[in-house]
Amino acid sequence: MARFHDLKVTDIHRTIRDAVVLTLEPDDPAAFDFIQGQYLTFRHDFDGEELRRSYSICSGKQEGKLQVGIKRVDGGAFSNFANEELKVGDTLQAMQPMGGFHTPLDPANAKNYLGFAGGSGITPVLSIVKTTLATEPQSTFTLVYANRGVATIMFREELEDLKNRYLGRLSVIHVLEQDAQEIDLFTGMVTEEKCAALFRAWIDVESVDTAFICGPEPMMLGIAKALRDHGLNDAQIKFELFASAQPGRLKSKVVSKQAGKQANQAEVAITLDGSTQTIMTAKDMTILDAARQNAMDAPFACTAGVCSTCRCRVIEGEVEMVANHALEDYEVEKGYVLSCQSFPVTDRVVVDYDQ
Amino acid sequence: MDDMSLKDYLAQGGKLTSPANVPPRYRAELLKLMATFVDSELAGAAGFADTINDGPGIKERIAAAKIVLEKTDNADKVLKIMGDFGADEARYANHHPWTSRLDRDADIGTRRVEQDMRLAVFNYPLQGWGDAVVMNLLMGQAVGVQLEEFTKVSYQPLAEAFREIAPVEARHAELAFEGMQRLNAEGLGANLQSSVDYWWPRVAASFGIGNPDRFEALRAMGLRHTPNAELKSAWEERAGATLGQLGLRTA
Repeated sequence: MARFHDLKVTDIHRTIRDAVVLTLEPDDPAAFDFIQGQYLTFRHDFDGEELRRSYSICSGKQEGKLQVGIKRVDGGAFSNFANEELKVGDTLQAMQPMGGFHTPLDPANAKNYLGFAGGSGITPVLSIVKTTLATEPQSTFTLVYANRGVATIMFREELEDLKNRYLGRLSVIHVLEQDAQEIDLFTGMVTEEKCAALFRAWIDVESVDTAFICGPEPMMLGIAKALRDHGLNDAQIKFELFASAQPGRLKSKVVSKQAGKQANQAEVAITLDGSTQTIMTAKDMTILDAARQNAMDAPFACTAGVCSTCRCRVIEGEVEMVANHALEDYEVEKGYVLSCQSFPVTDRVVVDYDQ
Repeated sequence: MDDMSLKDYLAQGGKLTSPANVPPRYRAELLKLMATFVDSELAGAAGFADTINDGPGIKERIAAAKIVLEKTDNADKVLKIMGDFGADEARYANHHPWTSRLDRDADIGTRRVEQDMRLAVFNYPLQGWGDAVVMNLLMGQAVGVQLEEFTKVSYQPLAEAFREIAPVEARHAELAFEGMQRLNAEGLGANLQSSVDYWWPRVAASFGIGNPDRFEALRAMGLRHTPNAELKSAWEERAGATLGQLGLRTA
């Protein structure tokens, strides 16, 4: 089961106006021995509500430091917090690195890699570029990096430095949506057609062993289609879905007018990991939230009534489960409920997470 | 252009890459798919473990032990991905007695029983070495067809796991084929046809009934691509040809 660790922010570096790179020092360095291309899932409390957000590691394995890049998103609670409020010396909490956006590296390899990044989708790709070039002295990397304009290119200087360090092994093609460039082909969006044109003149796609794509969904689809049309199979194309797909906005809190009234209160006894706590809680609060508000480490993940991670068994009393996308009828018949979707109905409820 | 719903993205063949970017219904169906695989592998391995000692020679016992080990390992690979979704892997692996079976003549069709998601076929008990080998051959080939389907799933980490698992499972079916050849060569194949007659309809049922609405919903999510009936007939063709090579006929 995933666990959160403390990480100290030791540096905050602003790469462009709307993005920061955080350098993090974990309490438990062994737990953060990442693989290039992996991401960290952070949790942070915003006005009493916990929000989880994932950001890719942008440092290379050989750099000996843990860094993530965070681009500010309009209305994004965590990205605004990281860009505007976070200070050096603060502590963040994150789960250990996860994700499979990588291929095994071997110093004996002489491979040709192709990377596509859109906007802040550069972060995991940058980690892969740096680690691959340092680990495999005979491999090459071609990076196609899409941005709105010059001003929004995260890591522009760092990529220039890498090009100089790995002369002849790293080539970077900047494709800019708005700013005109000397070569017409490098202006516009990275679409299927644009890829096909790049493969004709600039990129020897037939020699590519593995392609990495991270960016907005339509861009990834277009690139993947072009790659497949040029002979790459699914196993050679590695996707990393852009973080935009994550819900990051805080929802407004519903305040019950009935809070405090005895009729709205229930006594809930919750057993978890062998110990039982009895909690007085409002009937408009889920069993899961009641447990978590009382510092019980009740299991949960999606809080959408779907993954069944929060399943518990009602031993006594009655709850109302408002949504259930995971439990089968026979489980419900046996008294199992999704605690994230279940509200107390009777004045006393006994549930068990251990059964 | 940046604004595209995940629904459209998936419908057009997009891949999802982490628990953080799967939508709720997708997550449920993906977890169910993974649970079905994990439970079937664990139940299959547990059931087969008992037959290791029935192997007529040391080679057979080595093959059976290897199959038990590798099916358990395959379950572990997918269970790890469920763990990424918050599932408690340790508790999951022990949440059901995987060796439990119904009576040999219980008739449950395609239904699942008890509290696990194993395919119905894994609820029937094996009867001795020859019977176990027949089941392993027929189900091994069915798994081969099903894995070809599931290596295309839109959840990239799972597709990658299935790409690793597929050749291992294919080898299990080959081992079963070799085991049946050996039984035939040693004059011990007399009961193989009755085992085929027993297992054929039960393995066929593992392809499911094929609710078209459900299939469409799963296809829109990129979790399915080929209808159950097509997969089943692909298996019938392959398994029928293999049985023919062994001098056996389909039920």
